[in-house]
Amino acid sequence: MNAKTADRIAIAVVIAIAAVIMAVLAGLLGYLLFRGLSHVSWHFLTSAPQTIKTGGGIGPQLFNSIFLLVLTMLITVPLGLGAGIYMSEYAKANRFTAFVRLIVEVLSSFPSIVVGLFGLLIFVNQFGLKYSLVSGALALTVFNLPLMVRITEQSLAGVPREQKEAGLALGLSRWAAIRSVMLPIAFPTILTGTILAAGRVFGEAAALLFTAGMSSPRLDFTDWNPLHPASPLNPLRPAETLAVHIWKINSEGLAPDAPEIAAGASAMLIVIVLLFNFGARWLGRVIYRRMTASK
Amino acid sequence: MSKSAAPSAEAGETAFYTKDLSVYYGEKQAIKRISLNFPAREVIALIGPSGCGKSTFLRSLNRMNDVIPGVRTEGEVMIDGSNINAPGTDVVKLRQNIGMVWQKPNPFHKSIYDNVAFGPRYHGIRGKKQLDEIVERCLRRTALWDEVKDRLGSSALALSGGQQQRLCIARSLAVQPSILLMDEPASALDPISTAKIEELIAELKREFCIVIVTHNMHQAARISERTAFFLLGDLVEYGPTQAIFTNPSQRATDDYISGRFG
Amino acid sequence: MVKRKELDDGLKQLQDMLVEMGNRVEKALTDAMEALKRLDSAAARTIVASDLALNGLEEQVAELGAKLIATQQPVATDLRRILAALKISSDLERMGDLSVDVAKAVLRLEGQPLMKPLIDLPRMADIARTMIRESIQSYLEENVNLAYKMAKDDDLVDTIFAQVFREMLTMMAEDTGRINQAMLLSFVARYLERIADHATNIGESVVFLVMGNRPDLN
Repeated sequence: MNAKTADRIAIAVVIAIAAVIMAVLAGLLGYLLFRGLSHVSWHFLTSAPQTIKTGGGIGPQLFNSIFLLVLTMLITVPLGLGAGIYMSEYAKANRFTAFVRLIVEVLSSFPSIVVGLFGLLIFVNQFGLKYSLVSGALALTVFNLPLMVRITEQSLAGVPREQKEAGLALGLSRWAAIRSVMLPIAFPTILTGTILAAGRVFGEAAALLFTAGMSSPRLDFTDWNPLHPASPLNPLRPAETLAVHIWKINSEGLAPDAPEIAAGASAMLIVIVLLFNFGARWLGRVIYRRMTASK
Repeated sequence: MSKSAAPSAEAGETAFYTKDLSVYYGEKQAIKRISLNFPAREVIALIGPSGCGKSTFLRSLNRMNDVIPGVRTEGEVMIDGSNINAPGTDVVKLRQNIGMVWQKPNPFHKSIYDNVAFGPRYHGIRGKKQLDEIVERCLRRTALWDEVKDRLGSSALALSGGQQQRLCIARSLAVQPSILLMDEPASALDPISTAKIEELIAELKREFCIVIVTHNMHQAARISERTAFFLLGDLVEYGPTQAIFTNPSQRATDDYISGRFG
Repeated sequence: MVKRKELDDGLKQLQDMLVEMGNRVEKALTDAMEALKRLDSAAARTIVASDLALNGLEEQVAELGAKLIATQQPVATDLRRILAALKISSDLERMGDLSVDVAKAVLRLEGQPLMKPLIDLPRMADIARTMIRESIQSYLEENVNLAYKMAKDDDLVDTIFAQVFREMLTMMAEDTGRINQAMLLSFVARYLERIADHATNIGESVVFLVMGNRPDLN
């Protein structure tokens, strides 16, 4: 066969594969959303679950998922950013640094149920934090932090070296060159990477089973004092997240409308992740444009 | 920033010099004990085949080789009476006094205004009027003002290659150096932009000592007062450009500039 | 070593043209002296006509030199080679003109019998001819020593010229009827002396080519 025919066949194959993938994705999303969104209502989103009656909702679980995400990011973003900047700009290129990088890679690919059990042993039992948001956040940190470090490191590596040198040549200190020249350029990549990490955290279930727990206490949404036990903002209370709730409904759901609740919860999970994704990309673009004054 | 505007040395007087300067990449010696003096308010061209060390030498003049891991520098670079390689030198202040321009224009990913104002702002100038004045002065100096005065807030990356390079020169002028280092500043540009850059250099040399690395012999012949020929890390010949290009004393120099060599 | 074919071919062409010019100048001088000895007006006229070709060659050298400078941007030794070639061709062209002047002197003698046998003039001419050959040779070989030798030859020619001049003056004083011929022969001596000077100039150009500075060898 000649080159032109081979080329056509190759293109056709590539397009076919892409079409299959897109069809699978669309199908998956479409099916879940179709099945679940019909069950979603304001009542569904705000009321507490029912154990044996119909009409339960996912209000507290939704809140827990979001709050847990915020807590985890609060811990991992500054640490990840700092460690990533250190690894990229300050650490010497020797065997020790390479070793650290390897450990980081390994950590980030741990099976999540193992991370969860580790969290149970250390955070819940040893540290005495019991089933709580804090335990969950710390467990999630174990594989979110390496991801943040890698994202930061790679984003900074993607900044052209001449930008940093231009800054240095003007008499900037090393840190000033990183802060005012490199980070603004790396920012969109860091942001995108952080969103993807957040998406993974949001949908995590196995690591939270034995750390954040499988139950949520009665929450008083009028009490915003983090020190009160019934307050939603109290980080030391157990907090079943949306993903865990879906698992629980499907494995031990006794309410008659369990399948519908599971479908609705899944649909909401997907919708939120999508919202997260698109919203943050848009935000990243806006901020980048402002920082670099491009049209 | 209260640097006086009057240059401290007369044209022909030495602005700075190197003494037995050597640079090593690990075990390999890239620059072999070079002593060169750079007169004030002249253009000094560094020429030589690829790998001869001219860029490495240039970068050692403002200690930019410090950012490369594994580089070791020996010998002296004497500026204003002190050796910049001595431990404890204020590298930040040193680099304020020396501007640098690269082969590929590298403006910051910021607006035109912010590019020029970046240096002065970092070194403490905050007043808007002062910054406006500095930005206008530097852009006028590099013949960019009329082209960009209506869009100072737009991104520097939207400018053409030649304009970006002039912006980079304006950016380095903003911190009031007395020495300018240029590493093949026009080799990524089209002939007209190149001509404009050369014109700008001819203008700037009335005030600055300019050291320019170039692989284009004819450019070196056109714009420099003195030329230094490097080969494999050694300084083969250094002298007035006219003498080098009509009657060089070293055979290797003659062969290289006649194009009969690497 | 990278070869620069266009430039090297051009330089070789310049060399060949200068050699050709040198040969023609030598022939013109030889023929002119021959015509003088035999008072051959026809031969003299031929010599006058042949000068055109020499002028043509000089133009070609100038044109090729300009083209090489514009298109090849030579520097250093290559540049000096071209500059030297331009100057040498100009000197050779003048030498050709001077040989023609000798031929014209033959025409002006209009068959008058020679007052005395020619001895010194042919001697000057022989030295001049040698100098022409040597000047071209020193250029081809880029031989500075040969150029310096020619300076000595030129001194010799100058001496003989002074002698001839005195002799002519004496002859004019003794017999006013000889003034015409004596003056013409003095002019011829002057032309030969100038030819030797131009040959020495060529030597100076060779020194410039090799050393980079131009001495004064006259």
